[in-house]
Amino acid sequence: MTTLLQASDLTRKYGDSIAVDAVSFELEEHTATALIGPNGAGKTTTLSMLAGLVSPSQGAIRFSDNEKKDIRSIIGFLPQYPKFFPWLSALEFTEMAARLSGVDTRQAIRDAKNTLEFVGLGDAMNKKTGTFSGGMKQRLGLAQAIVHKPKLLLLDEPVSALDPVGRRQVMDLLKELQQETTILYSTHILNDAEEMTDQLLFLRQGKLVEQGSLNEVRARYAEPRIIIEFESLQELQRFTKATEWKVTSKGLIASIDVQTEGVDISSILSVLCTGLFMVRKVERQTASLEEIFMKVAVI
Amino acid sequence: MKGLSVLLQKEWREHIRNYKVLWIPIVFIVFGILEPVTNHFLPEIMKSVGNLPEGADFTWPEFKGEEIFVSLLGQYQLIGVLVIILAFMGTISGERKNGTATLLYVRPVSFRYYFLSKWIVVNGIVLGSVWLGFMAAWYYIDALYNHVNALPVLGFIATYSIWLIFVVTVVLALSAWLPTGGAAGLAILVTLVYQVIDSLIGAYWSVSPWKLSMYASYWFNPDSELSDLWMSLCLTVILIAILVLFGIFMSRRNAAKTTV
Repeated sequence: MTTLLQASDLTRKYGDSIAVDAVSFELEEHTATALIGPNGAGKTTTLSMLAGLVSPSQGAIRFSDNEKKDIRSIIGFLPQYPKFFPWLSALEFTEMAARLSGVDTRQAIRDAKNTLEFVGLGDAMNKKTGTFSGGMKQRLGLAQAIVHKPKLLLLDEPVSALDPVGRRQVMDLLKELQQETTILYSTHILNDAEEMTDQLLFLRQGKLVEQGSLNEVRARYAEPRIIIEFESLQELQRFTKATEWKVTSKGLIASIDVQTEGVDISSILSVLCTGLFMVRKVERQTASLEEIFMKVAVI
Repeated sequence: MKGLSVLLQKEWREHIRNYKVLWIPIVFIVFGILEPVTNHFLPEIMKSVGNLPEGADFTWPEFKGEEIFVSLLGQYQLIGVLVIILAFMGTISGERKNGTATLLYVRPVSFRYYFLSKWIVVNGIVLGSVWLGFMAAWYYIDALYNHVNALPVLGFIATYSIWLIFVVTVVLALSAWLPTGGAAGLAILVTLVYQVIDSLIGAYWSVSPWKLSMYASYWFNPDSELSDLWMSLCLTVILIAILVLFGIFMSRRNAAKTTV
């Protein structure tokens, strides 16, 4: 894979407070990276620095595309709450965005129409943006960010303002875009991050506290458990008496912490078979991204 | 230059759709018509509604067309300048505050083009409005007073136009620097309040942009010495250039303050 962007020691200070503190990461081409962290972690500031809106107080951002004079022509940016000129129609705004990014006028009109169709605003392209609902604005925000076919797409909470249906649709659009572009997006919705991510960046109080693929991060915070669902409460009680492992139970379900107890699934299956326990299900569970988030956010 | 033409189109569209292209010329044209008309008919107006005592006879001064032009300029100096400040004080700061600037600043557009596009369009509207206002006044002056030659009128309006370009540049540069309220306050201070100060203690200097409105009337007097006018024009043009550079610099510096 080719590295598209390299951020090293990225720092942004506002007076005495540090919004982003020596953050370093790389983005590979055609990958999706989720920027996760609690409110005030520095996600928006990081995206703003990459988009060229805010200058880093320290550190550097290097793009592999050195031929371009102004790097902003290969970037598409969607703010959390995109604001449009209410007196422009969606088509006029998207066309203007394309032309400002260097697309020829005729091509810009064609691209603007196609992009608005792509994001589902084909019927509303001639309406003034001032009349748009929150969901429509988010789609238009996405349209203006991708109309010039950027190499890097920066999205600040792209689906947080949408209802579940709109969220699903935008996530599907983003997955399609991932084939052609590199995406870095911040999100609070961890299901989305689990759904579309090649790399996770966890920010906390401006610092990058965790980084890696979803599987790598899961492995670090896994705390895997083995879950056994018994046929009856008596079977569960018989099992707890038969083993020395610490078993947490709830209803008919017993849970054993693999790391603490130093067991693996085969030794548990061996006990279950030897004791002829009546079970419905045995499964190995890992921590969800939400559980990892809670751990990383409060460490 | 491509970015500049796109931004010019955007600015022009904005002022058409928020009707500034319509109502600002109307304001100046209305004043341009009212000034000669009310001055001409003032004796009749006072006679019918002035409640003058029976038999009282008041001799009204006979105005010349050139004096009406100067009197109209006085109206524009207060109300016109105030209209310009109020209409354009949020041109840059407003876009920064409401977040609409964000989606422009993330494009490969230079801040020079960003500021200049606004400067060109706002000046176009203001100068177009003022010229239309003076043309309307000229028509009524010709009809109700005396004929005024074109050359002094054009010199008069052109001189005043340089002052107005200065006012517009002050407003836009302050809008690039400060929030809308601060820009409006300081613009009023710099253009209107300082004008009063300049007229009170300005006897000690003769070259000043704030004297241009006074010097503009020199065009109607063939005996006037125009060297101070030319010097003031040169100084104003230099100040305009400095303010444009300041506006571009502040637009770039304050881009990080844009609501994201």
